[in-house]
Amino acid sequence: MKFRVTTGVLFSVVAALLLAAAPTAHHEILAKFDDKKPMSLTGIVTSVDWANPHVHLFMTVRTGNENVNWAIELASPIDLNHSGWTRETVQPGESIKVDGIAARNGSRQVWANTVVTSANGRQVLNVRAAAPPPPLGNRPTPRWPDGQPRLGTLPGVDGYWGYPSSTVLTENNANIPMSEHGLLKNVADAPKVAPMQPWALSLYRMRQQRFLQDDPMFLNCKPPGGVRQYQSAYGLQFVEDRDRKRIFVLIGSGNRNYRIIYLDGRGHAGQVGGDDDNPLYYGRAVGMWEKDTLVVDTRGFNEDFWFTNGGLPHTEQLKLVERFTRENLDTLKYEVTIDDPGAYTRPWSSSWTLRWVADEILPAHLCQDNRP
Amino acid sequence: MRALTVVLALSIACLASPAPAAAQEGHPLKGSWIGKWEKNTIHGADVIIVLNWDGKAITGMINPGTDNIAIKNASLNPDTWTVHLEGDAKDKSGALITYVLDGKIENLAMANRTITGTWKNQKESGALKIGRQ
Repeated sequence: MKFRVTTGVLFSVVAALLLAAAPTAHHEILAKFDDKKPMSLTGIVTSVDWANPHVHLFMTVRTGNENVNWAIELASPIDLNHSGWTRETVQPGESIKVDGIAARNGSRQVWANTVVTSANGRQVLNVRAAAPPPPLGNRPTPRWPDGQPRLGTLPGVDGYWGYPSSTVLTENNANIPMSEHGLLKNVADAPKVAPMQPWALSLYRMRQQRFLQDDPMFLNCKPPGGVRQYQSAYGLQFVEDRDRKRIFVLIGSGNRNYRIIYLDGRGHAGQVGGDDDNPLYYGRAVGMWEKDTLVVDTRGFNEDFWFTNGGLPHTEQLKLVERFTRENLDTLKYEVTIDDPGAYTRPWSSSWTLRWVADEILPAHLCQDNRP
Repeated sequence: MRALTVVLALSIACLASPAPAAAQEGHPLKGSWIGKWEKNTIHGADVIIVLNWDGKAITGMINPGTDNIAIKNASLNPDTWTVHLEGDAKDKSGALITYVLDGKIENLAMANRTITGTWKNQKESGALKIGRQ
């Protein structure tokens, strides 16, 4: 066994090629790992920690006369499962070669781009971003007996909404190069993302320059409140409680939380047990149907979370007006207007679509123990 | 007596433990700041500053509930994260003095960020260090 850290032009080229097909993660990989620090390790697997939000392999690497322990971080169990990887794919005692990138803080952690078993040279890690299922024709929008569109499943059928057409929030879908987690390719593009006030723009820039490593959803499993739940990797589900005139939005990412949209005509003030002075991660949402579109007005957000991937700031003055339209069975159109005079110079809008993932339950992605 | 001693010891231990700052991802100045304005013989070395942001202006109070110094002029330069605060108060003789506080936000990304700088009035000056609670 050998411990090798190879640098140089050749490795850089290989690393760049590997990164082009980098596995997905529930958060920005570059927040923790440095793509300018390629690393290659060969050693023996000591343990497989198959858990959300990220699977870890632990391995010993012979370094000089010592055995050194390393932690190898992989994608989530959901993404690994989608790519054919199970908890038995690599076993303790097996010899593997890992190519990836090293942790920014210098600790013995590596984000794996490839894992190859030494015994047979088989590449066992080859995660690709999952593609949405092909639409089965233009199937009509499912409806309740009174004709109102159903946002959730039909009785006895599984399904959820996933594969958002955009995972980053920008004004009017401005085409600004950034990662799926909202990390700008060029921080100079920051002013183009949204009409931020100077303090908000400066804060946003700072978060970008720190590679989003301060994301409280990543650090502390804070909920994906605001629009973020509709741009998360692991989807969401609507449970329509028509008897009680409310909709529960079950969230597949983050800390597996839920949001309530009230449809009973109540106002905003103190509607949930006197919470008018207690701002919430998901705010207070009241909705009404306008023909085939559910219009939801949400206020009362706290400031303890990031309401978008990429870290656009918000204040307690944030108000969202969201419009949900199930255009057909497979497509949900989401439109949102962001009105936050505390952080932005004017209201602004964006929209995207989500795809119906039929016959599957909402992925069990959990982030509740603050583990990496 | 022994039970009382234990309760007292535990209470002191709890008070001595640093409470984690509540997360605050909005305007960086918003919140309660507690710390020292050193060498302040008029209002004491301990200071509490409560700041708010309404979307247009920074408002707040120095030592709310005790000395009640309303902040009349506050600004934040987001390019440098430097802060300027002013407030009128009275000295021990009842004469009007104006406090001027200047500092820089440090550890901006952290909930327990700090402001380090200086304070002064017409009679005294010193170092300022406050941390967000």
